[in-house]
Amino acid sequence: MLRFVLREAGRTGLGLVGAVLLAAAISALAAPDAGSGAWHFLVAWGHALDGFAHLDFGHSAMTGVPAGEELERRLPLTLGLVLEGFAVALIVGIPVGFLFGAGPARRAAAPLVQVLSAAPIFCAGLALAFVAANLLHWPVPRGTGVASGLTLMPKDARELETLLLPVLTVGLSGAAAAQLALRRAGAESARQPWRTQLRRMGLGAWEIETVFGVPQIFAGLLSDLGEVMLALFSAAAVAEWVFNYAGAADLFVKSVALHDWAIVSPILLSFAGLTMIAGLIGRCAAYPLVATGAAP
Amino acid sequence: MTMATTASARGGVPSLHALLRIAGWIGLGLIAVAVSLSDFLATAPANATAIGPLLAPPSADFRFGTDILGRDMLSETLHALSATVRSALPATVVTLLVGALFGFVAARLPRSLALTLRSLVGILASLPALLLAVLVIGLTTRDWAAVAAGLSAAPFTFVRAFDRARIEERATHSEYARATGISASTLLRRDLVYEFSDTILSSAARALAAVTLILSTVSFLGFGAVPPHRDLGLMIAAAKPYFLQAWWTAAFPAAALTLLILFARLAAGLDEGERA
Repeated sequence: MLRFVLREAGRTGLGLVGAVLLAAAISALAAPDAGSGAWHFLVAWGHALDGFAHLDFGHSAMTGVPAGEELERRLPLTLGLVLEGFAVALIVGIPVGFLFGAGPARRAAAPLVQVLSAAPIFCAGLALAFVAANLLHWPVPRGTGVASGLTLMPKDARELETLLLPVLTVGLSGAAAAQLALRRAGAESARQPWRTQLRRMGLGAWEIETVFGVPQIFAGLLSDLGEVMLALFSAAAVAEWVFNYAGAADLFVKSVALHDWAIVSPILLSFAGLTMIAGLIGRCAAYPLVATGAAP
Repeated sequence: MTMATTASARGGVPSLHALLRIAGWIGLGLIAVAVSLSDFLATAPANATAIGPLLAPPSADFRFGTDILGRDMLSETLHALSATVRSALPATVVTLLVGALFGFVAARLPRSLALTLRSLVGILASLPALLLAVLVIGLTTRDWAAVAAGLSAAPFTFVRAFDRARIEERATHSEYARATGISASTLLRRDLVYEFSDTILSSAARALAAVTLILSTVSFLGFGAVPPHRDLGLMIAAAKPYFLQAWWTAAFPAAALTLLILFARLAAGLDEGERA
Protein backbone atom coordinates (compact mmCIF):
# COMPACT_ATOMS: atom_id res chain seq x y z
CA MET A 1 0.00 0.00 0.00
CA LEU A 2 2.75 2.43 1.02
CA ARG A 3 4.72 1.71 -2.16
CA PHE A 4 1.61 2.30 -4.25
CA VAL A 5 0.84 5.60 -2.48
CA LEU A 6 4.44 6.78 -2.85
CA ARG A 7 4.52 5.87 -6.55
CA GLU A 8 1.22 7.61 -7.23
CA ALA A 9 2.28 10.65 -5.16
CA GLY A 10 5.50 10.82 -7.18
CA ARG A 11 3.58 10.74 -10.44
CA THR A 12 1.18 13.40 -9.22
CA GLY A 13 4.11 15.49 -8.00
CA LEU A 14 5.69 15.34 -11.46
CA GLY A 15 2.36 16.29 -12.99
CA LEU A 16 2.07 19.24 -10.63
CA VAL A 17 5.58 20.40 -11.55
CA GLY A 18 4.56 20.25 -15.22
CA ALA A 19 1.39 22.21 -14.45
CA VAL A 20 3.45 24.87 -12.63
CA LEU A 21 5.81 25.16 -15.63
CA LEU A 22 2.84 25.51 -17.97
CA ALA A 23 1.11 28.09 -15.77
CA ALA A 24 4.35 30.07 -15.40
CA ALA A 25 4.79 30.05 -19.18
CA ILE A 26 1.31 31.54 -19.55
CA SER A 27 2.00 34.07 -16.80
CA ALA A 28 5.23 35.05 -18.58
CA LEU A 29 3.12 36.25 -21.51
CA ALA A 30 2.02 39.14 -19.29
CA ALA A 31 5.59 40.51 -19.23
CA PRO A 32 5.86 43.51 -21.58
CA ASP A 33 8.85 42.21 -23.56
CA ALA A 34 7.91 38.49 -23.55
CA GLY A 35 7.05 38.62 -27.24
CA SER A 36 10.38 40.15 -28.27
CA GLY A 37 12.13 36.81 -28.79
CA ALA A 38 12.85 33.44 -27.24
CA TRP A 39 15.46 34.79 -24.80
CA HIS A 40 13.14 37.49 -23.46
CA PHE A 41 10.37 34.92 -23.04
CA LEU A 42 12.68 32.55 -21.15
CA VAL A 43 13.73 35.39 -18.82
CA ALA A 44 10.07 36.28 -18.22
CA TRP A 45 9.32 32.59 -17.63
CA GLY A 46 12.10 32.43 -15.06
CA HIS A 47 10.74 35.53 -13.29
CA ALA A 48 7.26 34.02 -13.31
CA LEU A 49 8.57 30.75 -11.81
CA ASP A 50 10.42 32.70 -9.14
CA GLY A 51 7.19 34.57 -8.37
CA PHE A 52 5.24 31.30 -8.23
CA ALA A 53 7.77 29.92 -5.75
CA HIS A 54 6.92 32.89 -3.49
CA LEU A 55 3.17 32.56 -4.22
CA ASP A 56 3.31 35.82 -6.17
CA PHE A 57 1.27 35.35 -9.34
CA GLY A 58 1.64 38.93 -10.58
CA HIS A 59 -1.01 41.61 -10.99
CA SER A 60 -4.11 41.80 -13.14
CA ALA A 61 -3.47 43.84 -16.29
CA MET A 62 -7.05 45.14 -16.11
CA THR A 63 -7.61 46.02 -12.46
CA GLY A 64 -4.07 46.05 -11.04
CA VAL A 65 -5.23 43.79 -8.20
CA PRO A 66 -2.76 41.02 -7.23
CA ALA A 67 -3.76 37.78 -8.99
CA GLY A 68 -3.50 35.89 -5.69
CA GLU A 69 -6.10 38.18 -4.10
CA GLU A 70 -8.41 37.79 -7.05
CA LEU A 71 -8.01 34.01 -6.85
CA GLU A 72 -8.65 34.05 -3.12
CA ARG A 73 -11.91 35.93 -3.72
CA ARG A 74 -13.23 33.90 -6.66
CA LEU A 75 -11.89 30.35 -6.21
CA PRO A 76 -13.97 29.53 -3.09
CA LEU A 77 -17.14 30.33 -5.06
CA THR A 78 -16.19 27.86 -7.81
CA LEU A 79 -15.01 25.25 -5.31
CA GLY A 80 -18.27 25.62 -3.41
CA LEU A 81 -20.22 25.19 -6.62
CA VAL A 82 -18.12 22.15 -7.56
CA LEU A 83 -18.48 20.61 -4.08
CA GLU A 84 -22.23 21.13 -4.01
CA GLY A 85 -22.39 19.79 -7.57
CA PHE A 86 -20.28 16.83 -6.45
CA ALA A 87 -22.78 16.11 -3.69
CA VAL A 88 -25.61 16.15 -6.26
CA ALA A 89 -23.47 13.97 -8.54
CA LEU A 90 -23.08 11.36 -5.80
CA ILE A 91 -26.72 11.53 -4.68
CA VAL A 92 -28.00 11.16 -8.25
CA GLY A 93 -25.13 9.36 -10.00
CA ILE A 94 -24.58 6.43 -7.61
CA PRO A 95 -28.20 5.20 -7.41
CA VAL A 96 -28.72 5.82 -11.13
CA GLY A 97 -25.42 4.09 -11.91
CA PHE A 98 -26.43 1.00 -9.89
CA LEU A 99 -30.06 1.06 -11.09
CA PHE A 100 -29.29 1.41 -14.79
CA GLY A 101 -25.94 -0.35 -14.69
CA ALA A 102 -27.22 -3.81 -15.57
CA GLY A 103 -30.17 -5.92 -16.58
CA PRO A 104 -33.41 -4.88 -18.28
CA ALA A 105 -33.34 -1.38 -16.69
CA ARG A 106 -30.12 -0.66 -18.54
CA ARG A 107 -31.65 -1.58 -21.91
CA ALA A 108 -34.81 0.43 -21.19
CA ALA A 109 -32.86 3.53 -20.14
CA ALA A 110 -30.21 3.28 -22.87
CA PRO A 111 -31.90 5.52 -25.52
CA LEU A 112 -32.67 8.24 -22.93
CA VAL A 113 -29.13 8.12 -21.52
CA GLN A 114 -27.71 8.37 -25.07
CA VAL A 115 -29.74 11.51 -25.79
CA LEU A 116 -28.87 13.06 -22.41
CA SER A 117 -25.18 12.29 -22.97
CA ALA A 118 -25.30 14.07 -26.33
CA ALA A 119 -26.80 17.29 -24.96
CA PRO A 120 -24.11 19.94 -24.36
CA ILE A 121 -24.01 21.17 -20.77
CA PHE A 122 -24.97 24.73 -21.72
CA CYS A 123 -28.12 23.40 -23.42
CA ALA A 124 -28.90 21.43 -20.26
CA GLY A 125 -28.36 24.57 -18.18
CA LEU A 126 -30.67 26.64 -20.35
CA ALA A 127 -33.30 23.87 -20.33
CA LEU A 128 -33.15 23.77 -16.53
CA ALA A 129 -33.49 27.55 -16.39
CA PHE A 130 -36.51 27.41 -18.72
CA VAL A 131 -38.25 24.71 -16.65
CA ALA A 132 -37.44 26.53 -13.39
CA ALA A 133 -38.69 29.90 -14.64
CA ASN A 134 -41.80 28.80 -16.53
CA LEU A 135 -43.01 25.70 -14.69
CA LEU A 136 -41.69 26.11 -11.14
CA HIS A 137 -41.64 29.94 -11.15
CA TRP A 138 -38.21 30.01 -9.55
CA PRO A 139 -36.01 33.08 -9.96
CA VAL A 140 -33.38 32.62 -12.69
CA PRO A 141 -30.15 34.45 -11.79
CA ARG A 142 -29.64 37.61 -13.83
CA GLY A 143 -27.24 40.53 -13.57
CA THR A 144 -23.61 39.93 -12.68
CA GLY A 145 -22.03 37.58 -10.23
CA VAL A 146 -22.51 37.89 -6.51
CA ALA A 147 -24.79 40.89 -7.05
CA SER A 148 -27.26 38.53 -8.72
CA GLY A 149 -27.96 36.97 -5.31
CA LEU A 150 -26.04 33.72 -5.63
CA THR A 151 -24.62 32.66 -2.28
CA LEU A 152 -23.15 29.28 -1.47
CA MET A 153 -24.93 29.05 1.89
CA PRO A 154 -28.54 30.05 1.21
CA LYS A 155 -30.37 31.63 4.13
CA ASP A 156 -33.93 31.21 2.86
CA ALA A 157 -35.94 29.27 0.28
CA ARG A 158 -35.59 32.05 -2.31
CA GLU A 159 -31.80 31.97 -2.16
CA LEU A 160 -31.85 28.18 -2.28
CA GLU A 161 -33.99 28.23 -5.43
CA THR A 162 -31.56 30.68 -7.05
CA LEU A 163 -28.57 28.55 -6.15
CA LEU A 164 -30.15 25.25 -7.19
CA LEU A 165 -29.95 25.92 -10.94
CA PRO A 166 -26.15 26.24 -11.24
CA VAL A 167 -25.64 23.48 -8.65
CA LEU A 168 -27.98 21.14 -10.54
CA THR A 169 -26.27 21.96 -13.85
CA VAL A 170 -22.85 21.13 -12.41
CA GLY A 171 -24.22 18.17 -10.46
CA LEU A 172 -25.92 16.55 -13.43
CA SER A 173 -22.70 16.74 -15.42
CA GLY A 174 -20.84 15.14 -12.51
CA ALA A 175 -23.60 12.55 -12.13
CA ALA A 176 -23.17 11.56 -15.78
CA ALA A 177 -19.42 11.09 -15.21
CA ALA A 178 -20.04 9.17 -11.95
CA GLN A 179 -22.61 6.82 -13.44
CA LEU A 180 -20.29 6.18 -16.41
CA ALA A 181 -17.48 5.25 -14.02
CA LEU A 182 -19.85 2.94 -12.12
CA ARG A 183 -21.07 1.29 -15.32
CA ARG A 184 -17.50 0.75 -16.50
CA ALA A 185 -16.50 -0.72 -13.15
CA GLY A 186 -19.67 -2.84 -13.07
CA ALA A 187 -18.92 -4.30 -16.50
CA GLU A 188 -15.31 -4.97 -15.42
CA SER A 189 -16.48 -6.65 -12.21
CA ALA A 190 -18.99 -8.82 -14.11
CA ARG A 191 -16.16 -10.20 -16.28
CA GLN A 192 -13.94 -11.26 -13.37
CA PRO A 193 -13.08 -14.99 -13.38
CA TRP A 194 -13.22 -15.21 -9.57
CA ARG A 195 -17.02 -15.04 -9.70
CA THR A 196 -17.21 -18.60 -11.06
CA GLN A 197 -14.71 -19.84 -8.49
CA LEU A 198 -16.68 -18.25 -5.65
CA ARG A 199 -19.93 -19.81 -6.88
CA ARG A 200 -18.21 -23.21 -6.96
CA MET A 201 -17.11 -22.60 -3.39
CA GLY A 202 -20.79 -22.31 -2.48
CA LEU A 203 -21.16 -18.55 -2.04
CA GLY A 204 -24.51 -17.06 -2.99
CA ALA A 205 -24.94 -14.37 -5.66
CA TRP A 206 -25.86 -11.73 -3.05
CA GLU A 207 -22.79 -12.49 -0.96
CA ILE A 208 -20.50 -12.35 -4.00
CA GLU A 209 -21.96 -9.01 -5.04
CA THR A 210 -21.91 -7.33 -1.64
CA VAL A 211 -18.59 -8.66 -0.32
CA PHE A 212 -16.55 -8.69 -3.53
CA GLY A 213 -18.46 -6.92 -6.33
CA VAL A 214 -19.58 -3.69 -4.66
CA PRO A 215 -16.12 -2.76 -3.27
CA GLN A 216 -14.65 -3.23 -6.73
CA ILE A 217 -17.34 -1.08 -8.33
CA PHE A 218 -16.77 1.68 -5.76
CA ALA A 219 -13.05 1.35 -6.38
CA GLY A 220 -13.76 2.01 -10.08
CA LEU A 221 -15.65 5.18 -9.16
CA LEU A 222 -12.84 6.34 -6.88
CA SER A 223 -10.19 5.61 -9.52
CA ASP A 224 -12.07 7.88 -11.93
CA LEU A 225 -12.41 10.71 -9.40
CA GLY A 226 -10.08 12.88 -11.48
CA GLU A 227 -12.33 12.44 -14.51
CA VAL A 228 -15.40 13.32 -12.44
CA MET A 229 -13.59 16.48 -11.26
CA LEU A 230 -12.81 17.39 -14.89
CA ALA A 231 -16.50 17.09 -15.76
CA LEU A 232 -17.40 19.22 -12.72
CA PHE A 233 -14.91 22.00 -13.57
CA SER A 234 -16.05 22.09 -17.22
CA ALA A 235 -19.66 22.29 -16.11
CA ALA A 236 -18.78 24.98 -13.53
CA ALA A 237 -17.29 27.15 -16.29
CA VAL A 238 -20.49 26.89 -18.33
CA ALA A 239 -22.86 27.20 -15.34
CA GLU A 240 -21.08 30.32 -14.08
CA TRP A 241 -21.42 31.86 -17.54
CA VAL A 242 -25.07 30.87 -17.99
CA PHE A 243 -26.17 31.94 -14.50
CA ASN A 244 -23.91 34.99 -14.07
CA TYR A 245 -22.02 33.49 -11.16
CA ALA A 246 -18.81 35.37 -10.35
CA GLY A 247 -16.55 32.37 -9.72
CA ALA A 248 -13.02 31.56 -10.83
CA ALA A 249 -14.11 29.69 -13.98
CA ASP A 250 -16.09 32.73 -15.13
CA LEU A 251 -13.08 34.91 -14.33
CA PHE A 252 -10.86 32.56 -16.36
CA VAL A 253 -13.04 32.93 -19.46
CA LYS A 254 -13.21 36.72 -19.13
CA SER A 255 -9.47 37.01 -18.43
CA VAL A 256 -8.57 34.98 -21.52
CA ALA A 257 -10.81 37.27 -23.59
CA LEU A 258 -8.95 40.29 -22.17
CA HIS A 259 -5.52 38.60 -22.42
CA ASP A 260 -5.05 39.08 -18.69
CA TRP A 261 -2.54 36.23 -18.42
CA ALA A 262 -1.51 36.96 -14.82
CA ILE A 263 -5.05 36.00 -13.76
CA VAL A 264 -5.40 33.11 -16.21
CA SER A 265 -2.32 31.19 -15.05
CA PRO A 266 -3.11 30.69 -11.32
CA ILE A 267 -6.69 29.68 -12.13
CA LEU A 268 -5.44 27.12 -14.65
CA LEU A 269 -2.89 25.87 -12.14
CA SER A 270 -5.57 25.57 -9.43
CA PHE A 271 -7.89 23.55 -11.66
CA ALA A 272 -5.12 21.25 -12.91
CA GLY A 273 -3.74 20.81 -9.38
CA LEU A 274 -7.13 20.06 -7.86
CA THR A 275 -7.93 17.54 -10.62
CA MET A 276 -4.59 15.78 -10.14
CA ILE A 277 -4.92 15.71 -6.34
CA ALA A 278 -8.50 14.42 -6.60
CA GLY A 279 -7.23 11.70 -8.95
CA LEU A 280 -4.45 10.80 -6.47
CA ILE A 281 -6.85 10.65 -3.51
CA GLY A 282 -9.30 8.56 -5.54
CA ARG A 283 -6.65 6.06 -6.68
CA CYS A 284 -5.21 5.73 -3.17
CA ALA A 285 -8.68 5.27 -1.66
CA ALA A 286 -9.52 2.68 -4.33
CA TYR A 287 -6.41 0.61 -3.71
CA PRO A 288 -7.50 -1.14 -0.47
CA LEU A 289 -10.97 -1.73 -1.92
CA VAL A 290 -9.48 -3.47 -4.95
CA ALA A 291 -7.13 -5.40 -2.71
CA THR A 292 -10.02 -6.75 -0.60
CA GLY A 293 -12.60 -7.07 -3.36
CA ALA A 294 -10.68 -8.46 -6.29
CA ALA A 295 -8.52 -10.99 -4.53
CA PRO A 296 -10.83 -13.29 -2.59
CA MET B 1 -15.17 -4.10 -32.28
CA THR B 2 -15.83 -3.43 -35.96
CA MET B 3 -19.25 -2.92 -37.45
CA ALA B 4 -18.96 -6.18 -39.36
CA THR B 5 -18.22 -8.26 -36.30
CA THR B 6 -21.00 -6.62 -34.31
CA ALA B 7 -23.45 -7.11 -37.12
CA SER B 8 -22.66 -10.77 -37.32
CA ALA B 9 -23.46 -11.32 -33.66
CA ARG B 10 -26.09 -13.97 -32.98
CA GLY B 11 -25.95 -15.79 -36.34
CA GLY B 12 -26.10 -12.90 -38.78
CA VAL B 13 -28.86 -10.94 -37.02
CA PRO B 14 -27.48 -7.46 -36.38
CA SER B 15 -27.22 -6.66 -32.68
CA LEU B 16 -28.83 -3.55 -31.18
CA HIS B 17 -25.35 -2.04 -30.95
CA ALA B 18 -24.79 -2.55 -34.69
CA LEU B 19 -28.24 -1.18 -35.54
CA LEU B 20 -27.57 1.93 -33.47
CA ARG B 21 -24.24 2.44 -35.25
CA ILE B 22 -25.98 2.15 -38.61
CA ALA B 23 -28.63 4.62 -37.42
CA GLY B 24 -25.83 6.98 -36.37
CA TRP B 25 -24.19 6.85 -39.80
CA ILE B 26 -27.55 7.35 -41.54
CA GLY B 27 -28.18 10.36 -39.30
CA LEU B 28 -24.76 11.80 -40.07
CA GLY B 29 -25.44 11.19 -43.79
CA LEU B 30 -28.72 13.11 -43.56
CA ILE B 31 -26.96 15.96 -41.78
CA ALA B 32 -24.29 15.96 -44.52
CA VAL B 33 -27.05 16.25 -47.13
CA ALA B 34 -28.74 19.08 -45.19
CA VAL B 35 -25.41 20.88 -44.86
CA SER B 36 -24.59 20.47 -48.58
CA LEU B 37 -28.01 21.75 -49.58
CA SER B 38 -28.38 24.35 -46.82
CA ASP B 39 -28.39 27.28 -49.26
CA PHE B 40 -31.07 25.51 -51.29
CA LEU B 41 -33.20 24.26 -48.37
CA ALA B 42 -33.13 27.55 -46.46
CA THR B 43 -35.81 29.99 -47.57
CA ALA B 44 -33.75 33.01 -46.51
CA PRO B 45 -30.04 33.79 -46.86
CA ALA B 46 -27.86 33.63 -43.77
CA ASN B 47 -28.35 36.47 -41.32
CA ALA B 48 -31.19 38.08 -43.35
CA THR B 49 -33.13 40.26 -40.90
CA ALA B 50 -36.79 41.43 -41.00
CA ILE B 51 -37.92 38.34 -42.92
CA GLY B 52 -40.94 38.14 -40.62
CA PRO B 53 -42.36 39.69 -37.44
CA LEU B 54 -40.09 39.86 -34.41
CA LEU B 55 -40.10 36.81 -32.11
CA ALA B 56 -42.99 35.13 -33.94
CA PRO B 57 -43.67 31.62 -32.55
CA PRO B 58 -43.54 28.58 -34.87
CA SER B 59 -46.34 28.70 -37.44
CA ALA B 60 -47.17 27.53 -40.97
CA ASP B 61 -45.26 30.52 -42.41
CA PHE B 62 -42.24 30.21 -40.13
CA ARG B 63 -41.94 26.61 -39.02
CA PHE B 64 -39.24 27.33 -36.42
CA GLY B 65 -40.52 30.86 -35.69
CA THR B 66 -38.45 34.04 -35.92
CA ASP B 67 -35.92 35.66 -33.62
CA ILE B 68 -35.54 39.14 -32.11
CA LEU B 69 -34.38 40.57 -35.47
CA GLY B 70 -37.14 38.87 -37.47
CA ARG B 71 -34.78 36.23 -38.92
CA ASP B 72 -36.34 32.93 -40.06
CA MET B 73 -35.17 30.41 -37.44
CA LEU B 74 -35.42 27.41 -39.81
CA SER B 75 -33.08 29.04 -42.33
CA GLU B 76 -30.78 30.32 -39.61
CA THR B 77 -30.60 26.87 -37.97
CA LEU B 78 -29.69 25.27 -41.32
CA HIS B 79 -26.97 27.86 -42.00
CA ALA B 80 -25.64 27.55 -38.45
CA LEU B 81 -25.62 23.74 -38.67
CA SER B 82 -23.61 24.08 -41.86
CA ALA B 83 -21.15 26.46 -40.14
CA THR B 84 -20.80 24.08 -37.18
CA VAL B 85 -20.13 21.03 -39.37
CA ARG B 86 -17.66 22.94 -41.56
CA SER B 87 -15.67 23.94 -38.46
CA ALA B 88 -15.95 20.52 -36.85
CA LEU B 89 -14.52 18.60 -39.83
CA PRO B 90 -11.01 20.17 -39.78
CA ALA B 91 -11.06 19.98 -35.97
CA THR B 92 -11.77 16.23 -36.25
CA VAL B 93 -8.78 15.81 -38.57
CA VAL B 94 -6.55 17.67 -36.08
CA THR B 95 -7.71 15.40 -33.23
CA LEU B 96 -7.11 12.27 -35.30
CA LEU B 97 -3.62 13.37 -36.38
CA VAL B 98 -2.39 14.91 -33.13
CA GLY B 99 -4.27 12.59 -30.79
CA ALA B 100 -4.84 9.18 -32.35
CA LEU B 101 -1.93 8.95 -34.83
CA PHE B 102 0.70 10.69 -32.72
CA GLY B 103 -0.43 8.78 -29.62
CA PHE B 104 -0.07 5.44 -31.41
CA VAL B 105 3.37 6.32 -32.82
CA ALA B 106 4.58 7.88 -29.54
CA ALA B 107 3.96 4.60 -27.71
CA ARG B 108 6.55 2.89 -29.95
CA LEU B 109 9.29 5.44 -29.28
CA PRO B 110 12.09 4.47 -26.85
CA ARG B 111 10.50 3.73 -23.48
CA SER B 112 11.80 6.77 -21.56
CA LEU B 113 10.86 9.20 -24.34
CA ALA B 114 7.44 7.57 -24.76
CA LEU B 115 6.67 7.77 -21.04
CA THR B 116 7.86 11.39 -20.89
CA LEU B 117 5.53 12.29 -23.75
CA ARG B 118 2.71 10.40 -22.05
CA SER B 119 3.31 12.37 -18.84
CA LEU B 120 3.41 15.72 -20.67
CA VAL B 121 0.17 15.01 -22.48
CA GLY B 122 -1.25 13.73 -19.18
CA ILE B 123 -0.78 17.25 -17.74
CA LEU B 124 -2.87 18.69 -20.58
CA ALA B 125 -5.43 15.90 -20.08
CA SER B 126 -5.83 17.01 -16.46
CA LEU B 127 -7.25 20.32 -17.68
CA PRO B 128 -10.87 20.59 -18.80
CA ALA B 129 -10.82 20.41 -22.63
CA LEU B 130 -13.17 23.38 -22.77
CA LEU B 131 -10.81 25.65 -20.82
CA LEU B 132 -7.87 24.39 -22.87
CA ALA B 133 -9.70 25.34 -26.07
CA VAL B 134 -10.56 28.78 -24.67
CA LEU B 135 -6.90 29.25 -23.73
CA VAL B 136 -5.60 28.25 -27.19
CA ILE B 137 -8.08 30.61 -28.86
CA GLY B 138 -7.02 33.37 -26.45
CA LEU B 139 -3.37 32.77 -27.36
CA THR B 140 -4.18 32.86 -31.09
CA THR B 141 -7.34 34.27 -32.67
CA ARG B 142 -10.92 33.14 -33.11
CA ASP B 143 -10.02 32.05 -36.66
CA TRP B 144 -8.11 29.20 -35.02
CA ALA B 145 -11.15 27.96 -33.08
CA ALA B 146 -11.38 24.72 -35.10
CA VAL B 147 -7.69 23.93 -34.55
CA ALA B 148 -8.03 24.85 -30.87
CA ALA B 149 -11.00 22.50 -30.47
CA GLY B 150 -9.09 19.73 -32.25
CA LEU B 151 -6.00 20.26 -30.09
CA SER B 152 -7.96 20.40 -26.85
CA ALA B 153 -9.73 17.12 -27.64
CA ALA B 154 -6.40 15.54 -28.64
CA PRO B 155 -4.86 14.82 -25.19
CA PHE B 156 -7.62 12.40 -24.23
CA THR B 157 -7.43 10.74 -27.68
CA PHE B 158 -3.62 10.62 -27.40
CA VAL B 159 -3.75 8.83 -24.05
CA ARG B 160 -6.30 6.33 -25.35
CA ALA B 161 -4.29 5.62 -28.54
CA PHE B 162 -1.05 5.42 -26.54
CA ASP B 163 -2.49 2.85 -24.15
CA ARG B 164 -3.93 0.80 -27.02
CA ALA B 165 -0.57 0.81 -28.78
CA ARG B 166 1.19 -0.36 -25.62
CA ILE B 167 -1.23 -3.30 -25.41
CA GLU B 168 -0.61 -4.09 -29.11
CA GLU B 169 3.11 -3.99 -28.47
CA ARG B 170 2.78 -6.72 -25.86
CA ALA B 171 0.47 -8.84 -28.06
CA THR B 172 1.53 -12.29 -29.23
CA HIS B 173 1.95 -11.27 -32.87
CA SER B 174 4.39 -8.54 -31.81
CA GLU B 175 6.48 -11.01 -29.82
CA TYR B 176 6.59 -13.43 -32.78
CA ALA B 177 7.48 -10.58 -35.13
CA ARG B 178 10.34 -9.40 -32.93
CA ALA B 179 11.56 -12.98 -32.47
CA THR B 180 11.68 -13.48 -36.23
CA GLY B 181 13.71 -10.32 -36.73
CA ILE B 182 11.01 -8.04 -38.17
CA SER B 183 12.09 -4.46 -37.54
CA ALA B 184 10.24 -2.15 -35.12
CA SER B 185 9.33 0.28 -37.92
CA THR B 186 7.81 -2.52 -40.07
CA LEU B 187 5.82 -3.74 -37.08
CA LEU B 188 4.66 -0.18 -36.38
CA ARG B 189 3.55 0.27 -40.00
CA ARG B 190 1.67 -3.03 -39.86
CA ASP B 191 -0.03 -2.18 -36.58
CA LEU B 192 -0.91 1.33 -37.80
CA VAL B 193 -2.55 -0.04 -40.95
CA TYR B 194 -4.55 -2.62 -38.98
CA GLU B 195 -5.44 -0.18 -36.21
CA PHE B 196 -6.65 2.55 -38.55
CA SER B 197 -8.41 0.33 -41.08
CA ASP B 198 -10.23 -1.24 -38.14
CA THR B 199 -11.09 1.85 -36.14
CA ILE B 200 -10.77 4.93 -38.36
CA LEU B 201 -14.51 5.39 -38.82
CA SER B 202 -15.39 5.01 -35.16
CA SER B 203 -12.39 7.14 -34.12
CA ALA B 204 -13.45 9.87 -36.56
CA ALA B 205 -17.06 9.80 -35.34
CA ARG B 206 -15.87 9.86 -31.74
CA ALA B 207 -13.59 12.83 -32.45
CA LEU B 208 -16.42 14.57 -34.33
CA ALA B 209 -18.68 14.28 -31.27
CA ALA B 210 -15.96 15.61 -28.97
CA VAL B 211 -14.91 18.58 -31.13
CA THR B 212 -18.51 19.55 -31.93
CA LEU B 213 -19.22 19.71 -28.20
CA ILE B 214 -16.12 21.85 -27.58
CA LEU B 215 -16.63 24.10 -30.63
CA SER B 216 -20.25 24.83 -29.84
CA THR B 217 -19.43 25.54 -26.19
CA VAL B 218 -16.57 27.94 -27.02
CA SER B 219 -18.90 29.68 -29.47
CA PHE B 220 -21.52 29.90 -26.75
CA LEU B 221 -18.91 31.54 -24.50
CA GLY B 222 -18.02 34.00 -27.29
CA PHE B 223 -14.72 32.48 -28.44
CA GLY B 224 -15.84 30.71 -31.62
CA ALA B 225 -17.73 31.91 -34.65
CA VAL B 226 -17.58 35.62 -35.36
CA PRO B 227 -20.84 37.38 -36.31
CA PRO B 228 -22.32 37.59 -38.91
CA HIS B 229 -21.12 33.98 -39.49
CA ARG B 230 -23.12 32.22 -36.79
CA ASP B 231 -22.79 28.60 -35.74
CA LEU B 232 -25.19 26.75 -33.45
CA GLY B 233 -23.36 27.70 -30.25
CA LEU B 234 -23.42 31.38 -31.12
CA MET B 235 -27.10 31.17 -32.12
CA ILE B 236 -27.97 29.70 -28.72
CA ALA B 237 -25.85 32.34 -26.96
CA ALA B 238 -27.69 35.07 -28.89
CA ALA B 239 -31.02 33.63 -27.71
CA LYS B 240 -29.97 33.66 -24.03
CA PRO B 241 -31.50 37.07 -23.11
CA TYR B 242 -35.00 36.20 -24.32
CA PHE B 243 -35.31 32.38 -24.55
CA LEU B 244 -37.39 32.26 -21.34
CA GLN B 245 -40.17 34.07 -23.22
CA ALA B 246 -39.37 32.76 -26.75
CA TRP B 247 -38.26 29.12 -26.28
CA TRP B 248 -38.01 28.43 -30.01
CA THR B 249 -35.05 30.78 -30.43
CA ALA B 250 -32.85 28.39 -28.41
CA ALA B 251 -34.71 25.07 -28.65
CA PHE B 252 -34.29 24.41 -32.40
CA PRO B 253 -30.56 25.19 -32.62
CA ALA B 254 -30.05 23.15 -29.40
CA ALA B 255 -32.00 20.24 -30.89
CA ALA B 256 -29.93 20.39 -34.12
CA LEU B 257 -26.70 20.43 -32.10
CA THR B 258 -27.81 17.57 -29.86
CA LEU B 259 -28.81 15.50 -32.90
CA LEU B 260 -25.43 16.09 -34.56
CA ILE B 261 -23.57 14.98 -31.42
CA LEU B 262 -25.98 12.09 -30.82
CA PHE B 263 -25.52 10.71 -34.36
CA ALA B 264 -21.75 11.05 -34.07
CA ARG B 265 -21.80 9.21 -30.73
CA LEU B 266 -24.02 6.45 -32.13
CA ALA B 267 -21.83 6.13 -35.23
CA ALA B 268 -18.77 5.81 -32.99
CA GLY B 269 -20.48 2.97 -31.13
CA LEU B 270 -20.10 4.72 -27.79
CA ASP B 271 -21.79 3.20 -24.80
CA GLU B 272 -24.49 5.32 -23.14
CA GLY B 273 -22.81 8.08 -21.18
CA GLU B 274 -19.33 7.15 -22.46
CA ARG B 275 -17.06 10.13 -22.90
CA ALA B 276 -16.39 11.08 -26.54
